[in-house]
Amino acid sequence: MSGRVPMHGERELVQFSFEGQEVTAWAGDSIAMALWAEGSQALRNSSRDGEPRGVLCNMGICYECLVVVDGVTMRACTTPVKAGMQVARGGRR
Amino acid sequence: MSDAILSADVGVVGAGPGGMAAAKELARAGLRVVVLDEGMRAGGQIFRQLPVGVTAAGDHAEPPSHDAGHELLHDFAAADVELVSGATVWDAAPGRLWFEHDGRSRLLECHHIVLAPGAYDRCVPFPGWTLPGVMTAGALQVMVRGFGVVPGRRALVVGSGPLLLPTVTSLLSAGVEVVAALEASSRWRALRAAPAIVGNAARRREATFYAKALWRSGVRLQWGRTVFACEGDGRVQRAIVGKVDASGRPRRGTERTIEVDVVGAGFGLVPSVELGVLLGAETRHDAARGGHCVVVDDQQRTATKSVFAVGEICGVGGAEVARAEGELAAAAILAETRGAPVPDARSRAAMRERRASDAMLRAFAPLPGLVELARPDTIVCRCEDVRLLAAQQAAQLHGDSHRAIKMGCRAGMGPCQARICGPSLQALATGDGARAMDRPIVQVPLKPVRAATIEQAPGRGATT
Repeated sequence: MSGRVPMHGERELVQFSFEGQEVTAWAGDSIAMALWAEGSQALRNSSRDGEPRGVLCNMGICYECLVVVDGVTMRACTTPVKAGMQVARGGRR
Repeated sequence: MSDAILSADVGVVGAGPGGMAAAKELARAGLRVVVLDEGMRAGGQIFRQLPVGVTAAGDHAEPPSHDAGHELLHDFAAADVELVSGATVWDAAPGRLWFEHDGRSRLLECHHIVLAPGAYDRCVPFPGWTLPGVMTAGALQVMVRGFGVVPGRRALVVGSGPLLLPTVTSLLSAGVEVVAALEASSRWRALRAAPAIVGNAARRREATFYAKALWRSGVRLQWGRTVFACEGDGRVQRAIVGKVDASGRPRRGTERTIEVDVVGAGFGLVPSVELGVLLGAETRHDAARGGHCVVVDDQQRTATKSVFAVGEICGVGGAEVARAEGELAAAAILAETRGAPVPDARSRAAMRERRASDAMLRAFAPLPGLVELARPDTIVCRCEDVRLLAAQQAAQLHGDSHRAIKMGCRAGMGPCQARICGPSLQALATGDGARAMDRPIVQVPLKPVRAATIEQAPGRGATT
């Protein structure tokens, strides 16, 4: 359903976890785009109704993609992946 | 703490075409320039670059405007400019920009400030627009051109204005099937943009490129149509599309359902004026330019001394406008600091580009009838899960100013600080689609940052 556009050149592979599952990303990915490429679109549960939300603006404006990275709430679309980071869905648990 | 405070002659906010153009000109003249940019790499939204180390492999042609983009990126990279990527500016005063960078609280002290923060997509709420997979046209562009990620298999593109075309071509370049591309304006309304395009060589080349690219792909822009709703279980799986009248009002009974797994909605752009407002710049409302715009003089000066503004913050205009205004602002700063006169050619170029873009954008001013896409239970404020009915009741009870609606129903109180709902909130709450939003209410922090960033902000003791 998603995946990568063919690209020239190489990037390092980066392993991190999302909701306890291992995810393989490429260096230079944002958390949001690494997860999208692997098929995870729901990044946050909305504040009142707990509805799934995902990428809306992809440029740091809307805060719909808030996730919890090693205990700190961050925008998944502007935060680069780092090896070993533990990412959880943001918003209502 | 030593590098917590940076100093420069000029601080530039934004590394899109406007910020890059200003920065490289100033650096060439020997001024020390620091650019604070929220993106991961220079380029802004329009000239997004793939991550370091990779380039696109497809044989997909780029629009002619991107040649100028590559040249600008090259000149910027070659210039002696300090670029701080991933910097979120959260407070400002003349000569001082506080920002969060990599989890740290930092300050840039400078003599002049150039604001080039760009614009973001205007959102039009419709049922199901909160489902994952429904996003702005800009988000799709970032996904493909900035990260090389494939958005989905079957895409629907909806909205209004010139940005729909690059959205379609980006999707095609990623191998996505564009099931439908719907422009809400009528063909006849859009034709009013034709003289501005025909009369400007660069815009003519750009339009020809997209016309050919679309023709070859077989995707046909359908006029006077838009998305009425999206549906799906946890993500978008279907879109209901239909016809709209000349003002954008949905014509119920014309609906059909199409299966899609990604939807890009681009209803124009909104200038990012928050920093300008915070710094005391004047603003005025210009619907065709996207809403509230920072007012500048004929050399890009705002009403606040030593604060300049270029590009989309002065009204949506595109990369050519931003670049010309960035170069003009640089010339004006050099005139102030060095006494060098501002070359006439710089002023003329900025005026010419702005005139051309204004003429084109007038044909795509937001359609008032699109507010009728939202139903009473449609979410209008995504941060706080506020539905249309609640916003309407708040407007009736408390008044229809932005502040009153916000106090009445919490719309606009979440982390996006009304950037997403604000531009259409008053129109939606009053049912008057032509209703302009009030001047944005800005507060510090301009964007959510960590509490420690505010507590540990450098340089605030004696002077604030």
